[in-house]
Amino acid sequence: MTSPSFPTPAVGGPGAAVSTDAVLTEVASMIIKILDGYGADDLGIGMETSFHDDLEMESIDLVTLAGMLTRTYGADVNLAEYLADKDLDEVIDLTIGDIVTYVVGCAGHLDRVGRVGRD
Amino acid sequence: MPTAFINGLTVNYLRLDGRSDTGPRPVAVFVHGLGTDSLASFYLTLAAPVSAAGIDVLAYDLRGHGRSGRPPEGYTLADFTADLTGLLDELAVDRPVHLVGNSFGGTLAFAVAAAHPDRVASVVSIESEPPTPAWADRLHRTLRAVKRDLAREDTYLWLASTFGNHHARLSRQAYDRMCTTTMVEDIPRGPLLGLADLDRIACPVLSIIGDEGFQADDPHLLETLLRTCRTVIIDDQDHSVLVEAHREVRRLVIDWVYEFDPAAETAGVVPVPWQERAG
Repeated sequence: MTSPSFPTPAVGGPGAAVSTDAVLTEVASMIIKILDGYGADDLGIGMETSFHDDLEMESIDLVTLAGMLTRTYGADVNLAEYLADKDLDEVIDLTIGDIVTYVVGCAGHLDRVGRVGRD
Repeated sequence: MPTAFINGLTVNYLRLDGRSDTGPRPVAVFVHGLGTDSLASFYLTLAAPVSAAGIDVLAYDLRGHGRSGRPPEGYTLADFTADLTGLLDELAVDRPVHLVGNSFGGTLAFAVAAAHPDRVASVVSIESEPPTPAWADRLHRTLRAVKRDLAREDTYLWLASTFGNHHARLSRQAYDRMCTTTMVEDIPRGPLLGLADLDRIACPVLSIIGDEGFQADDPHLLETLLRTCRTVIIDDQDHSVLVEAHREVRRLVIDWVYEFDPAAETAGVVPVPWQERAG
């Protein structure tokens, strides 16, 4: 289920947006959809925005976001793997920038092996 | 996340197939606890490493929790048990599974193992105990006390100042669930297990507890109640051992599954340590 509010890139294919700005825009769109418009679009979601304190998202929302990220950027973007080695405090302090940087890093790797193009 | 329609309600679940092509893979089902808990507590800790070790993972939200349906009534252990077996049926999981339960999730795992011994390969109980009359009495008193405390507004101020606004908000949601469902009344009703019922739980049990957790006063209680039980006590941990000591817990769970799963034995699967794989 990909958000209809932005162009849908081919999963892991050419056209997948991997620049920091593009991923930030994409992640922000996903979060607005998850929060069902509960004022999230008014929060000015940026790299420093935190999931818990600023967006008041629940842990289960992170699981939903993980599914959206995988569908959009491919199976190598695996939030469960990324989060599994973090301590509880790190998960609580997680920011949008952490996720964006992780996705860009994964996509950069994929690009190097020729599986994902850049916009 | 995918959903299934089980026993008249929507059940939110997540599957991660184990990364192994060596034949039938062990299946671990993660069962979370009560209140503010959801499948996320396992997703954020054990799901990826256990899957990476070649074990199929299934996690789901209990009724009344997470993104699963929240009927106004129907919260006995029989209801929870029917949801779990119904989900296994829906997903065509026909081989015995390893139930890994945290807190109430472990209690439910024991209930399922007693009612459906053919479907359970083993139980990993994390800060849990079987649904005995003594358990029900303690839980009933605890739930009533929590509900009474959460009815007071100053409780949320204390929760916010002590644990943060996020925790206070989740607690308010939990209170709402307590008030709009029969959860508090239903859960302690069981069906409860007596000594003869416990003796019918033939599968191996791993009990993981914190040395400062709910079983600190009697850490080897489960070994006296069950036929085959091994206890691991993790130092400097309370009831939150799953999230606070998840690296240790996942190592224990992976080793346990591979020790007791017939498929792993016949397929000759050797679990890959998470740290090596991730590195």
